Amino acid sequence: MECVVQGIIETQHVEALEILLQGLCGVGRERLRIHEICLKSGPNLGSVASEVRLLCDLEQPEPTWTVKHIGGAMRGSGAEQISALVRTMVESKVSKNVLRLFYALGYKLDHELLRVGFAFHFYRGAQISVTVSSINKMLKLHATDEAVPVTPGIQLVEVTAPASSDNYTEVVAAVSSFCEYLAPLLHLSKPGISTGVVPTAAAAAASLMSDGGGTTL
Amino acid sequence: MPIKWVLHWQPNAGTTVNSQILNEVSQCVENMNGIKEGRWKATLTFYRPNLRDQSIQTEFPRDFLGMSLQEQPNKYYFIMRGHRLVVEAESSILTIMEKLQSYKSRVALNFEGVQYQLGDFQLRLGKVVPTHSENLRGIVMEVEYLPISSIEKSRQLMEEFLDIWQEAVSKRSLPGHFMHIEPNFSDFGLSDHYTSQHTAVQYATVLGQLIATVQSAQAVRN
Repeated sequence: MECVVQGIIETQHVEALEILLQGLCGVGRERLRIHEICLKSGPNLGSVASEVRLLCDLEQPEPTWTVKHIGGAMRGSGAEQISALVRTMVESKVSKNVLRLFYALGYKLDHELLRVGFAFHFYRGAQISVTVSSINKMLKLHATDEAVPVTPGIQLVEVTAPASSDNYTEVVAAVSSFCEYLAPLLHLSKPGISTGVVPTAAAAAASLMSDGGGTTL
Repeated sequence: MPIKWVLHWQPNAGTTVNSQILNEVSQCVENMNGIKEGRWKATLTFYRPNLRDQSIQTEFPRDFLGMSLQEQPNKYYFIMRGHRLVVEAESSILTIMEKLQSYKSRVALNFEGVQYQLGDFQLRLGKVVPTHSENLRGIVMEVEYLPISSIEKSRQLMEEFLDIWQEAVSKRSLPGHFMHIEPNFSDFGLSDHYTSQHTAVQYATVLGQLIATVQSAQAVRN
């Protein structure tokens, strides 16, 4: 399982967000360049339709591949009351010919995209990952070099942390309290519930850029 | 990793495998001063598509195999011989397959037995049995030569070892012999440097032989 919240930020404030994250996390950022291929089961395959993502990490000297399955979100009144989405998520690192495997099994390409940005991984009450990336689409099949932004000027921020059925409340609390530090720059909420950019972003960014993140927001 | 050949017992026409053959072959290893090192196990699973309309089967692979190996406990292998495809994955792929519900495991075969050390060689002799059953379906032998990882560089040495081995086994006048069929690894995108993916491909090949043997025995009976 994983706990996840998302938000958006204008590209012009991303540098300020990076400074803030750097200060909060105390670790260096990692560059992010991931080719994501989303596949869906063919019409007759499986008792229910299924979806799987193949992620190719293009930042590595030799690109590495991961199969990722995102399952259903936790439901019920308990899930509604918490501020983050908790869902099943399983990943498996695989050899580079995995796309051929899924095509042979009867999966079809649904869409593909390229995420370009950076990530921070650190421990703060939970093992938290923050990714800030622009989402790009390919004009030609698999042409990652010719990708163009889906939403120019806007980047996606995602905060995730691994969780289990035993500890998800603590993990959600850790993620939520971390998100509060980012609140002047962006608002993070459950995926699918877009809250837009925050009005304080420009002022907060200007403040961060002027003193390198030294000010407590 | 060290080069390995996977061999299977090819019974003479009209005969079948039995546990007595396995006992005799094991004695051969012990007579060659093979030192018992414990047990080993590998499992091969046949998958079939989970279809909404069972009448449309043709577009889906019928040779989709999954394999777990003791030498790589955190990995899992998928093999499709028809597509010349072998894929290595972390074992969590099994959870993903369960969640996708697009393919179901149909039947699984265990390869299990005793591991021996014989100088620089490691021999694993084992029976092939369906899980939840004791019906012997075949005998396999892994021959691993620890100092070399190159298939080509080790070929002559492996052949010489097998000559000695076949001679030792032939003295017992058993109704069959061990057979080595080397798959064309480059068809699967594999290099000369030996990996566990080579092992998975070899097992898929051995399985093809075992099925062919059973089918021809049935044809003779009928």
